[in-house]
Amino acid sequence: MVDLSMDVFGVEFQNPVMLASGTCGYGEEYADLIAVDELGGIVTKAVTPEARAGNPPVRITETPGGMINAIGLANVGLEGFKREKLPWLRDNLRRAHVLVNVAGWSVDDFVKVVAGLDEQDGFLGYEINVSCPNVEGGTMFGTDELALAQLVGALRAATQRPLVIKLTPNVADIGLFAQICEDNGADGLSAINTFPGMVIDVEARRPVIGNVTGGISGPAIRPMGVYATWKVASRVELPVIGIGGICNARDTLEYILAGAALVQIGTAMFVDPYTAPETIEGLREICARQGVDKLAHLVGALEA
Amino acid sequence: MRAQQIFRAWSPVRARQQVAEDTYWLELEAAEIAAAAAPGQFVMVGFGMRGWGVPFLPRPNSVAAVLGERIGLLIRVFGGGSRRLAGLRPEDEVLLLGPLGTRFQLGGAKAVLCVAGGVGLAPFLLLPRWEPLKRSGAEVRLLYGERGAAAVFDPDKIRELTGLDPEIWTEDGSLGRQGRVTAGLDLKGVDLVLACGPPPMLKAVRALALEAGVPCQLAVEEHMACGVGTCIGCAIETVDPETGEAGYSLVCSDGPVFAAERLRW
Repeated sequence: MVDLSMDVFGVEFQNPVMLASGTCGYGEEYADLIAVDELGGIVTKAVTPEARAGNPPVRITETPGGMINAIGLANVGLEGFKREKLPWLRDNLRRAHVLVNVAGWSVDDFVKVVAGLDEQDGFLGYEINVSCPNVEGGTMFGTDELALAQLVGALRAATQRPLVIKLTPNVADIGLFAQICEDNGADGLSAINTFPGMVIDVEARRPVIGNVTGGISGPAIRPMGVYATWKVASRVELPVIGIGGICNARDTLEYILAGAALVQIGTAMFVDPYTAPETIEGLREICARQGVDKLAHLVGALEA
Repeated sequence: MRAQQIFRAWSPVRARQQVAEDTYWLELEAAEIAAAAAPGQFVMVGFGMRGWGVPFLPRPNSVAAVLGERIGLLIRVFGGGSRRLAGLRPEDEVLLLGPLGTRFQLGGAKAVLCVAGGVGLAPFLLLPRWEPLKRSGAEVRLLYGERGAAAVFDPDKIRELTGLDPEIWTEDGSLGRQGRVTAGLDLKGVDLVLACGPPPMLKAVRALALEAGVPCQLAVEEHMACGVGTCIGCAIETVDPETGEAGYSLVCSDGPVFAAERLRW
């Protein structure tokens, strides 16, 4: 029997396959379609201090080998999450681990969500979305070295739980930003968030997406995600969660060989909700065929 | 948990024929979905991880018929996704997710006017499956508008599927009466309007029904990724009828059938 488990953040993940933030709601949405508790874990939709209605339509459209989205962080807010969503996670997930994705527009926003959740049961830690604009500085936290250092430091002071920073690929050297997170006390890194993009309706001469721009995801960005994972894993000691266009076990192994200890499947879940369970099954098959008895031995095992 | 179970199944194509200009009829074997689908509901039709390309994402399509263990879909070619669906051959397989979304609600209506524009005809072809309608014995009229005769789905086939005699309108007058289908909207004696079609038509139907004070339900469309309420992509502006508060609803799970007064149009 192949051992797919991974020891990360001081706990055991039964397998490395998680669902990415924004693609699985708060877990419950997929509960009648797949066995959510059989996964490595899930990352919730972003939680912001207040509930948000999100962006005007059109919010999504297909792009070559993927999609663009500008949902606008529509979510139930901190109190809504505690009241309506966290109880289901607490009561139904025994083995799958939960990271709560947190978004905000100032350091205070992020700290408010983390401080407001820290005493609750039902989740392991946080994944921090630093691809939001910082209202105080005008740039994204994830592209501003000082703002990122300050944010990670403030969050580290606010929680003892695993603190994972979800990096944006929209920087010249993602390794540098991973290093900043490590230096300021983060426990792990998710690489990567979506790439900024645009789609234009040439008949209407207007952007297709209501928000004008959006984030590109799906298999089209997988080679860039693998590259970013490799750059980050080569630079820091922290565990890396590989994200970007994963559709199956083979894709997952690319990320693991590049240095990821865990992965997240996102957009592919929209194509088929069975993608995650089939990926786990596929990992068993490939490992068995390759004579690998413990998947963790392949983390960063790239020969280059 | 959802009120209705969602089934996911690889479904073989059992029949495919061109039925009008750029318009195709597909029959897919999907016993569980066929047994559960109601008028207004839809399925996501895709190619899964085995066969994605163009399209990558699955596409929402109204369930247009239930024929034993098969469902029927009415596909009009608009772009790459619908072109691939239209070009499927018998024994090709597609990945289905469904039945999804809300259904038309009959309430106590006794005289129902159905207004279809283009392939917005699809949900009305499923009316014979509507149990509340069968029980009520309500009277049903079907208005069906198209650009021109070449696009019109065979009226005999509509009669065969629904038992209804469609009143056809074409914009160029090449078949039936000339003009937009909304020109034929006589709401006298009607106590429920159901409509599905392009947004300009739905807006016109909505305005006429609201003005006449006749209850009206609209089946709408929006870009979708997941079809099951997780991606939050298919937002549409709505008003809470209780509080008057404006916000967004999801076409996939709060809709696709909305009461006319809920839409912020």
